[in-house]
Amino acid sequence: MSKARLFSLLIVSLIMGVIGCTRAPKAKTDVVIWHWMTDRKKAFNELAKKYEDQTGLRVEFKLFAPSDIYSQKVRAATQAGTLPDIFGILGEKRDFAIFIKAGHVLNLKAAMRAKDSQWKNKFFSKALIVNEFKRGNEFDVPSGIYGVPIDVSNIQMLYNKDLFKKAGLDPEKPPQTFEEFLAAAAKLKTAGIQGLVSGWAEVWMIDCLASNFAFNIMGEKKVMNTFRGEVPYTDPDWIRVFSLFKEMADNGVLAGGIISMNNKDAEQNFANQRYAFTFNGSWCVNVYQGMNPNLNYGVMFVPRVSERHPMLIWGGAGSSFMVNANSENKDKAVAFLKWLTDTEQQAYLAQATNNLPANKLSVANISPILSQFAESMENTTHPNIWSAHEKSPVVEAYTVGIQQIILGTRTPEQVAREVQEVKIREMAKD
Amino acid sequence: MNSESLKYKSKSFTTGVLINLLLLLIAAACVFPLVWMFGSSLKTQGSVFSDMSLIPRVLHWENYYRAWTEGNFGTYFLNSVIYTVCVVGGIVLISSLAAYAFSRLQFPGKNFFFYMFLAAMMIPLPGSFVPLYVLMERLHLRNTPQGYILCLINVGLSLSIFLLKTFFDRMPKDLEDAARIDGCSKLGIWWNVALPLARPALAVIVIFNSLNVWNEYILALILFDDARFMPLQVGLATFHGEFVTQYHLLMAGVTIAVIPILLIYIFMQKHIVKGLTAGAVVG
Repeated sequence: MSKARLFSLLIVSLIMGVIGCTRAPKAKTDVVIWHWMTDRKKAFNELAKKYEDQTGLRVEFKLFAPSDIYSQKVRAATQAGTLPDIFGILGEKRDFAIFIKAGHVLNLKAAMRAKDSQWKNKFFSKALIVNEFKRGNEFDVPSGIYGVPIDVSNIQMLYNKDLFKKAGLDPEKPPQTFEEFLAAAAKLKTAGIQGLVSGWAEVWMIDCLASNFAFNIMGEKKVMNTFRGEVPYTDPDWIRVFSLFKEMADNGVLAGGIISMNNKDAEQNFANQRYAFTFNGSWCVNVYQGMNPNLNYGVMFVPRVSERHPMLIWGGAGSSFMVNANSENKDKAVAFLKWLTDTEQQAYLAQATNNLPANKLSVANISPILSQFAESMENTTHPNIWSAHEKSPVVEAYTVGIQQIILGTRTPEQVAREVQEVKIREMAKD
Repeated sequence: MNSESLKYKSKSFTTGVLINLLLLLIAAACVFPLVWMFGSSLKTQGSVFSDMSLIPRVLHWENYYRAWTEGNFGTYFLNSVIYTVCVVGGIVLISSLAAYAFSRLQFPGKNFFFYMFLAAMMIPLPGSFVPLYVLMERLHLRNTPQGYILCLINVGLSLSIFLLKTFFDRMPKDLEDAARIDGCSKLGIWWNVALPLARPALAVIVIFNSLNVWNEYILALILFDDARFMPLQVGLATFHGEFVTQYHLLMAGVTIAVIPILLIYIFMQKHIVKGLTAGAVVG
């Protein structure tokens, strides 16, 4: 090709790109929703179509994944005033509070409480807490409900029923106490089956299980008092929490390399039936369905250590939608969210996406394994709703400490002392 | 044959075998991900995790059809081709003109502007998302292909200008003088002398920027609201869920996405090698 021709082609391409493409005509939609949930794309689009058929109103779901890019887009849109009618805010509650205080999120308290709280009562109570700001909250946000949960999730233990049978254990009676758990793991080990696999390279998972045990051993009040600096980590109850990990390690319950394993690898190992137990969130139902549709497994509550206090597991709203307070279509947006979270639509979403529905009335229509997860929804808690929060360096010290206990390079007492030292240092900064 | 010569031959044979083995090992390491990608694209979601063979016994070619349709590749693929051609064309045109001006013309603030271009290379793109979004919105260029193309041209300019200026700086002035005697204008010299000589550098710029634009999706997600403007990589993200990744479809999609880049490499291989090695001799 001659130079002149090549150059002409280049110029034509440029003109084609810059002039040929026109600005997109404004789509005639009544409600625009931005979301990041790739696996729910098809189901959302189906529901939007159904809604249009029923009401004549056009709802458009726009997917922007992955979630970290989605978050940046929402932040940028906030600055430019181009937020859609409905959107989601990812991050911690303090991020949520910033959006509310800037006037971008509609308070749904009145809508939720209308007609004897008809809408509000459909949700698992724990699903709404994440979106609720009570009077006098630490973020100075006016009291209200600012988000609508679309689904919920919780993190529990799972066990492989086939491996249980192979080891001579009753697959319908998973261990309920920590002692029973260790005994079952020992029996599995004798049968040549490995125990617990989990992605403990992701330290939040260690934090999650450790706080489950802490709530059970010492109760919520004492845990919160520890975070406030009123109870030291050298307290015998905390040493007991750390010791549980040592017991699991010493009894060979934990997978080799568990502390360097990410959750994706752990999921793969459990799906391939290499381990009898795992510690994972309810989203795993979808994951295992893809990895091994024939996996025969059940959900078991985290084995309790003590009878003194209830065992609380992490859980709450999985994904939530917020209504743009400045949208011209906010009434239509609220009406659509009411419809989306109604029993029928929630059951459809759960069946189509294998996520736990936020609407407790739709649980009757979901798969048995999701039902098992849903049974424990009222026993959930989440850092976002705690009255006190631990400082990040302290959390890091105790999660890394637990990893060292598992490795055998630290004792629970040493870790307790070291965590307390970090705590004292952090408190001195206040 | 004396023992010295035999020893020498045997030593050089051993060295040759070792070097070739090492090169084979490196080549295998480079090719393995591509083979794995292709093999996985022919498996099912379940067998990606259980079947460790590189090429499965049952080949699921339908994954390619599913990836193409479910990922909306028909639209995205064409978009990516248009974006790549326009952006690379724009970069080549603007950067070669700018680099020639920086190299040959004298104007006030020349060094300042050049260093400003270099400084722009230090700013990571994610750091400028919010201001870029607001700027594009104010210019009514957000959610338009034109806005996206202009942003990407801007992103690729700094390095391209730097590379070409370095190239033009080493170009003998005598060639320009000869062209001037023949009646060439400044633009004529750029077109008839500088550009043909810079062909190896231009090849590097083309391949480098083609790769960048072809693989770009973050800025597209930020700037576009409309799915019909999205590039190919956004289609690939469809298979990457929050908790579940459809690896078989993702790998089929990636295989499709890799083909144009492989073709560009093959087509421009000669120039790229020249571009990387010809720095010492210009003209």
